[in-house]
Amino acid sequence: MAPELYNPASQRLVEALAAKLRRRQVLGSRETALETALVLRQVVSKARFTNIHQLVEIIRDVGRKLVEAQPKEHTVGNTVRKLLHHVREEYNNASKGTVASSSNVFSISKFVLQGQPRKQVTTQKTESALVLREDDPDDPDSFARTLKPVLMEAIQVILDELETVYENIARSAKDHIHSDEIILTVGKSHTVETYLISAAHYHNFTVIVAESGPTYGGHDMARSLSAAGISTFLVPDSSIYALMSRVNKVILGAHAVLANGGMYAITGSLLAATAGRAHSTPVVVCAGQFKLTPLWNLYHEYGALDFADPSSVLGFEDGDLVDTVDVVNPYYDYVRPDLVDVYVTNDGDHPPPSIYRLIKESYDDEDNEL
Amino acid sequence: MPPKAAAGKEKLVEEEDEVLQAVILADSFNKRFKPLTTDKPRCLLPICNVPLLDWTLESLALAGVQEVFVICRSHAEQVKAAIQDSKWSHPASGLKIVPIVTAKETFSPGDAMRDIYTHGIITGDFVLVSGDLVSNVRIDEVVRAHKERRRTNKDAVMTMVVKEAGARHRTRSRGDGGIFVLDRDTSECLHYEPVKGYPPKRLAHIPREIMDNHANIEIRNDLLDCAIDVCSVEVPSLFQDNFDYAHIRRDFVHGLLTSDLLMKNIYCYVAKEGYAARVQDTRSYDAISKDILARWSYPLVPDDNHPGGHPYEHLRGNKYIPKDNSVILSRTCKIGNNTLIGPSTQVFADAQIVASTLGARCTIGLKSVVRNSYLFDDVVVGPNCVIENSIIASGVNIGPNSQIARGSLVADGVTLGAGSRLAPFERVSKPKQEVEDDSDEDSEWEEAEANQELLAGHLGPDSNAFVWPRRVADEEDEDDDDDANFESFNNQRLMRLGDDHRELDLSDPGSVTSSEDSDSSDDDDSMMPHPSASSSTTSFPTTAAAAAVTAGEHAAEIEFKSEVRQSLERAFTEGHSLDNASVELKTLRMASNVPLRRVREAVVEGIVEHIAIVEGAVPQRAEIKRWVDRWGALINLIGGIDGVETVSILQVRFRAHCASSTRMPLFGQILAALYQEDIVEEDDIRAWHALPESKGTGIDPGTLLENMEKCWIVGARLIHQFNEQESDEESEEEEDEEDDGEGSEEESDGDDEGSAAEEEEEDEEEEEDEDDEDDEG
Repeated sequence: MAPELYNPASQRLVEALAAKLRRRQVLGSRETALETALVLRQVVSKARFTNIHQLVEIIRDVGRKLVEAQPKEHTVGNTVRKLLHHVREEYNNASKGTVASSSNVFSISKFVLQGQPRKQVTTQKTESALVLREDDPDDPDSFARTLKPVLMEAIQVILDELETVYENIARSAKDHIHSDEIILTVGKSHTVETYLISAAHYHNFTVIVAESGPTYGGHDMARSLSAAGISTFLVPDSSIYALMSRVNKVILGAHAVLANGGMYAITGSLLAATAGRAHSTPVVVCAGQFKLTPLWNLYHEYGALDFADPSSVLGFEDGDLVDTVDVVNPYYDYVRPDLVDVYVTNDGDHPPPSIYRLIKESYDDEDNEL
Repeated sequence: MPPKAAAGKEKLVEEEDEVLQAVILADSFNKRFKPLTTDKPRCLLPICNVPLLDWTLESLALAGVQEVFVICRSHAEQVKAAIQDSKWSHPASGLKIVPIVTAKETFSPGDAMRDIYTHGIITGDFVLVSGDLVSNVRIDEVVRAHKERRRTNKDAVMTMVVKEAGARHRTRSRGDGGIFVLDRDTSECLHYEPVKGYPPKRLAHIPREIMDNHANIEIRNDLLDCAIDVCSVEVPSLFQDNFDYAHIRRDFVHGLLTSDLLMKNIYCYVAKEGYAARVQDTRSYDAISKDILARWSYPLVPDDNHPGGHPYEHLRGNKYIPKDNSVILSRTCKIGNNTLIGPSTQVFADAQIVASTLGARCTIGLKSVVRNSYLFDDVVVGPNCVIENSIIASGVNIGPNSQIARGSLVADGVTLGAGSRLAPFERVSKPKQEVEDDSDEDSEWEEAEANQELLAGHLGPDSNAFVWPRRVADEEDEDDDDDANFESFNNQRLMRLGDDHRELDLSDPGSVTSSEDSDSSDDDDSMMPHPSASSSTTSFPTTAAAAAVTAGEHAAEIEFKSEVRQSLERAFTEGHSLDNASVELKTLRMASNVPLRRVREAVVEGIVEHIAIVEGAVPQRAEIKRWVDRWGALINLIGGIDGVETVSILQVRFRAHCASSTRMPLFGQILAALYQEDIVEEDDIRAWHALPESKGTGIDPGTLLENMEKCWIVGARLIHQFNEQESDEESEEEEDEEDDGEGSEEESDGDDEGSAAEEEEEDEEEEEDEDDEDDEG
């Protein structure tokens, strides 16, 4: 019954985004998260619902469609989960007068389930004089009418977070990077780029950029860093290990951060992280909170590395080789939790073992499977 | 409120952009997949478990195409139904699909284009693809480039998408390809030469004009023709006007580029990124399947943007298994690399599946081996079978212990009994129910029926199979004319699944010499200069046939001459404009297919004939000037400028008219007039003068030679003058004197010489002539 609840216009929007995701026309974790949030805003603003379950069902339905379209862009599902979390939170706050709140009672037995309730303090104050009448037979729209402005606000919060994520991560940059350090990074990551540039306002340091074939995003990265006045070296991926003894810190970006503390990142990251481990060089990963993904066993899936086409490795014009050589061109590497020392997020710095707690705070358990 | 505003804006944007249209030719117009296509159109054959048409539509949707016309011919109802049932008819797909059924008499893509023209559905630039395309090329970028070009050049009617692939790429058809001559700077396609694999093409003919007009050209035999064309509105009407164009590449592109009447340009877009290829034959079916499984078409791969929408999981070694856990694989079965297994398929113990595609609900029996093969849906393979390099269509039931050798095609619903053996390249289908198809197929069918007992001997018991007769090489040998044999047997072998055509050239005695065999098997690069090049291209016609041909040509030429004469006569008397006259001449040339030189001869002759003989030098000059002024330019308008040729034609013309010697003196005058009108350049005259033929070399002595020489001397005089004009202080005495005597006016020189020549015509030899000159000086 869910599809009838939102109108054809929003349905078309969802289909359009699903098609774009499937065709890889929207790329990158932040881009996909932003697009998802925008579509969700449209859907929610036009949706008709009379109680919280219908609303949740609508959002989940959209989420399921989008995630099915592109399971490898994890931020799509994360954004949906985040919204569901916000929706429940707002609902609980608003209906506190009528429904006895049960979720805020803490006990040792529930501790594992709930994680550490760090953000609870801030959300309390949005308590308002909203009176929610669910399933009102006289005025079926009244529930939606009262809740919608709050929901819009919640989506706006998500959008704002996505828009300011780079700056928020970069706030702590000057404390992590010190003068005259040598930093190694791999490929092009917008997060890492902002992070390094903002640190360069305070310190003088050197960055070694591995070019990260076959995409060679490192070239762009080196260009933009040196344009920002940072002394930058561009090196081939093969020399990462040789250089590691001189490197003070490895700073990497992430595609998705998993609940076990591992992460998916651009190819070459595993190489850098392993080399860093061999030389006991700290490995710092910069990632926005929207990349936290409530999955932990993704590395069992071979296809999760997202194998791209072989053309960047072996030219299509090499006719004879195409027939006889199988090319494997993974786009991502899986980096195990023990190779990462710390995650720098827009919500503070966390060691890999406590990522699960962040995930528990950000999303509701029932949404892990959309 | 904000959402509404946004929606409004979107609408506005949509209205500004015109709708991008696409035309899919959902018929192959050949029979390379027979018998798989006897009761199903080719575009509905599955590749990687999805009908080709869906891949094509996805390729178009990827490019932002909004309106698609599907031109169906055979099995049109099935195509329509397939479109109706697919996700594309869903409004959210963003595609508007209109199936158009054409008549059974549509025999070629050209006919289909004419049909499109009569329907009048095309409103702007459109994308023309065939219904068997697999592509992830950003066609919208090609369209943008095309529109950009159209803004400056209205004659750029078409942009072809090609991809660098190397001459021997598996996806590039060896039997049906082409050589592209491109301008390196603008990537304009200057010439297209179709290439077929057998008999191997040794020579490509590239018009000389191309070299004259373009500084940088590339001649490429390594391009994979993606069969995606971005066409302008006038393309269907061009097909309509040229009713004999059948094939889009061989006729339309080749014709348009070699025609100097149509004056249209075609460009190429060499796709750097992306994948695009056409399933034109069983061989490319195999290659494209492999490309998809090897992820060349990413993101159009089974685990990502699979057009069928069925989610697959990608496993190590490019194996694809459906995500819904419906597949049952035995613990001991072996699944090799590059394999796709459809949903609900079952593979029993010790079976091996290597580099193959299995459809939905297939069963592979105990210890059976499936290698490099393509099984469609619902295929049941019994125990201990071996299937290699074959295509097995849906619903086929293969009995135990059967062996299917490479290159076999088994059509829908066939049952093969236990222990059946299919020889390599066997084609098997169910017996035909009713006769409904065209006649040539029937003849084959009847022949097959006659031999059925013989052919079906090796099929096991209880089989309902009907074995198609094998095609043999020699049946085509007689109709070896140029275009028809793209479908010839030997050429088709190059397009056949599983055929290594190793013994191809050896098995065909007589047509090629043995020294060439080794070459053709390991080297089909036709751009290579070849010592024995001439022997293979033009050795077919017997002497009798050649004689017949020349006789026919002779008759045609006579007819052409009279036509041209009449047409020129009309032009002269009715005072046509130069443009009209030249168009008329070009049309005549096209119609009777004669070389350019003939037309030039005719024009020169026409002009010379019409110059009246007037007494006295000055009025004569005025008369010549009048004609050359008015009509001289026509010589260069008929297509191509070649001053040297013009002069030698003029010379030949005068040579021929030695008997009626009245006009002989005019040669110098006319030459001078042509020079003055800039119809021939100084360099042309020099070049002509330098040619041995102009001096009369190789012509039997007699009056002809005499006249040739006289003309040549006149030319020499003119050149003398050029030299003198350039450097007045030339040191040779004679020339100095001559110069002084004759003044600087060329025409007077020509005149004098002309009269001198006339006087001495009968008896003077060359030396004397020169003496004469001296005397004059």
